[in-house]
Amino acid sequence: MSMGELDNISFSCSSLLCEETEACFSETGRQEEDGESQSVYLKCCDNEDYDEYIKKLVQRETDFGFKTNESFADYQNTSKSWLECARLDAIEWIFNTRKVFGFQIHTAYLSVIYFDRFLSKRSIDEGKLWAIRLLSVACLSLAAKMEECRVPPLSEFPIEDYHFENKVIQRMELLILSTLEWKMGSVTPFAYLHYFIHKLYAESNSNKELVSNAIELIMAMAKEISLVNQYRPSIIAAAAVFAASGNPLTSKAMEVKIDSISLWGSLENEQIVCCYKMMQELQMRKSKTPNFVVTSHFSAIHALENASAKTAGAAGTKRKLTFNQSDQNGLAKKICRSE
Amino acid sequence: MGDGNNTSGRGISANNTSSSGNSEKPEWLQQYNLLGKIGEGTYGLVFLARIKSPTNRGKCIAIKKFKQSKDGDGVSPTAIREIMLLREISHENVVKLVNVHINHADMSLYLAFDYAEYDLYEIIRHHRDKVNHAINQYTVKSLLWQLLNGLNYLHSNWIIHRDLKPSNILVMGEGDEQGVVKIADFGLARIYQAPLKPLSENGVVVTIWYRAPELLLGAKHYTSAVDMWAVGCIFAELLTLKPLFQGAEAKSTPNPFQLDQLDKIFKILGHPTLEKWPTLANLPHWQSDMQHIQAHKYDNAGLHSVVHLSPKSPAFDLLSKMLEYDPRKRITAAQALEHEYFRIEPMPGRNALVPSQPGEKIVNYPTRPVDQNTDFEGTTSIQPSQPVSGNAVAGNMGGAHAGRNGSVNRPMPPPPMQRMPQGMMAYNFPAQAGVGGGMNPGGISMQRNMAAAQAHQQQQLRRKDPGGMTGYPPQQKSRRL
Repeated sequence: MSMGELDNISFSCSSLLCEETEACFSETGRQEEDGESQSVYLKCCDNEDYDEYIKKLVQRETDFGFKTNESFADYQNTSKSWLECARLDAIEWIFNTRKVFGFQIHTAYLSVIYFDRFLSKRSIDEGKLWAIRLLSVACLSLAAKMEECRVPPLSEFPIEDYHFENKVIQRMELLILSTLEWKMGSVTPFAYLHYFIHKLYAESNSNKELVSNAIELIMAMAKEISLVNQYRPSIIAAAAVFAASGNPLTSKAMEVKIDSISLWGSLENEQIVCCYKMMQELQMRKSKTPNFVVTSHFSAIHALENASAKTAGAAGTKRKLTFNQSDQNGLAKKICRSE
Repeated sequence: MGDGNNTSGRGISANNTSSSGNSEKPEWLQQYNLLGKIGEGTYGLVFLARIKSPTNRGKCIAIKKFKQSKDGDGVSPTAIREIMLLREISHENVVKLVNVHINHADMSLYLAFDYAEYDLYEIIRHHRDKVNHAINQYTVKSLLWQLLNGLNYLHSNWIIHRDLKPSNILVMGEGDEQGVVKIADFGLARIYQAPLKPLSENGVVVTIWYRAPELLLGAKHYTSAVDMWAVGCIFAELLTLKPLFQGAEAKSTPNPFQLDQLDKIFKILGHPTLEKWPTLANLPHWQSDMQHIQAHKYDNAGLHSVVHLSPKSPAFDLLSKMLEYDPRKRITAAQALEHEYFRIEPMPGRNALVPSQPGEKIVNYPTRPVDQNTDFEGTTSIQPSQPVSGNAVAGNMGGAHAGRNGSVNRPMPPPPMQRMPQGMMAYNFPAQAGVGGGMNPGGISMQRNMAAAQAHQQQQLRRKDPGGMTGYPPQQKSRRL
């Protein structure tokens, strides 16, 4: 940024507004999901500094490893299916526990980001489901410490099948912190939601529904793809807003809208389209299965992957990141119980 | 290295730098010669140490030990947030985090910072109590300029410091960076939209003298303007050597309402009016405390007479813009750097302590006293301890402003002879899987870890300076009236 540019940024107070009451409000967590999403994500942020803020966030994404990472390939090769279903199990536990404690939705999402970032750098021996659970507990605890006003003591985390001493969880926390190099401020798609809705669907009357649909899609996507090295948070957010709008868009129409935000290059534009199509698949699956229990084989995503592989720099790792969850969906739990 | 058999760091005293001590020291500690304790604050202790490794031999490091969190809470949220924040920032006028060490035995955290010999609290105190002379204009302006420069960087990155006060503004001693200002203590700082607890709920006593009126009146949303208020207070204190608004803290009240502090402010700046500050009426304590504040009539006593500045001087103009009641009208750090005050002689410089113009007297400030009788655990050994209450090292040293013994000799340890561990292993985890009490609770393979940690060592933080603001203002013709 040049001196001249800096002069143009009128640095108004509102850009540094700390949303104290709203964040704390949702923390009580007794609201329905819709109400919660309204209070957290529909902040009124329509000012000139907001563009600058969003640009900075997108820049920050690259600070958190959204680039090819060789070690990730190893992790993918070894016992992929075991890890996939263990991951799904972990996400289920994180999402459920979030509800129990009344944490904000993005706290749970942040936990999954930590989880994936951790496993992109270290591996867990096959079959050690207790280690996965320990990792889940520590990730959620850390995310809560970053995002929540009140964090329950470690002993209150509902770890049904295992018993971890507080000290053990604390050691795990430290292991995660150092593995992630203490960079705990990962950007989540939720940071962009309101901005994108405002930019893309300003005329829309049903913001409430749009937001809750988008949140649902973002959370559903967390189960489908690894949150490192595939789609950047801003891309997931943009795709979720498009998919949540309920009006199918052609690639052309979408590009026009994407260009209006002017945050990305052509590579990212294509990724938004791919991500959008994945989300459409998810919506279709959901409409077929009322409780959003995923049963259908998810082959379409692989087709999408192939289509996008040419354009993506991380083509080699990309496909591997897509979890084929259908066949082992229930397996993790079974193993878990039998241990 | 990293074999998981690190022993406890208990009982390693500052004096124990002889041969017998080394075998007991955890590995990370062996990189340093501990000189002693230099500070104590709400969050823990601060030690002074020298690096042993050949590359930086003799370089001084301030090591901040976090207080152990309550058992059962895991790693403290304050530590996580502060370290995360420090990892992301890099600016000449912000304190530099060199390393994070985890003491495996008790899971305590130690942060290693570049050591800064002075702080504004000590500089002001020295002038007031010993020199009996105001700080020269060049130094005041240079300190303020650099403080604003660092703050502009923080605010540009959506970080609010929230606890600026003289003891948190460090100044480098002899060396490459002599006289360079470093903003320290990010224990209360917040980034982006991380949720905030009200200040009173953090369980720490923050000095109220630098607290902005909107906070005192119970504002729930606050902005970077709270830092600018503190800068205004510090600016005035640099000029007069006395805290500008020295209110008596009401400790018993659970809420952040501090009547006496508001009283002190209103007495100097006059009664706030809805005309000057339209959102005033919405502030909780303004509404609830009709009887005390609103009933009282404050005369406009005049800030200029308190700080001995001409109302027409650029210095006064800048100060009064920092002390604007309405946070939305208060000057920002970026705007302040553009203020005329910094474009007239004397021009601010990088070495705030040594004026570029000859003829100005150089003041020799006292170095930080070092308590040699405290070990890294913070327990004091049997020998009587020197009265040290250092308050302003890289870490938070909030509060403790008691008297100090300024004449403590700093020991020069004998040159270390033993072999150093490879590099500085910040994240010093054992390679073996979860042996009882080891650092790896999950039996997680570690092979990649060490390489990653080392790679990380080399990695510099990439955050850029916002818009080349580190430069000093161009020399311009004096626009003085």
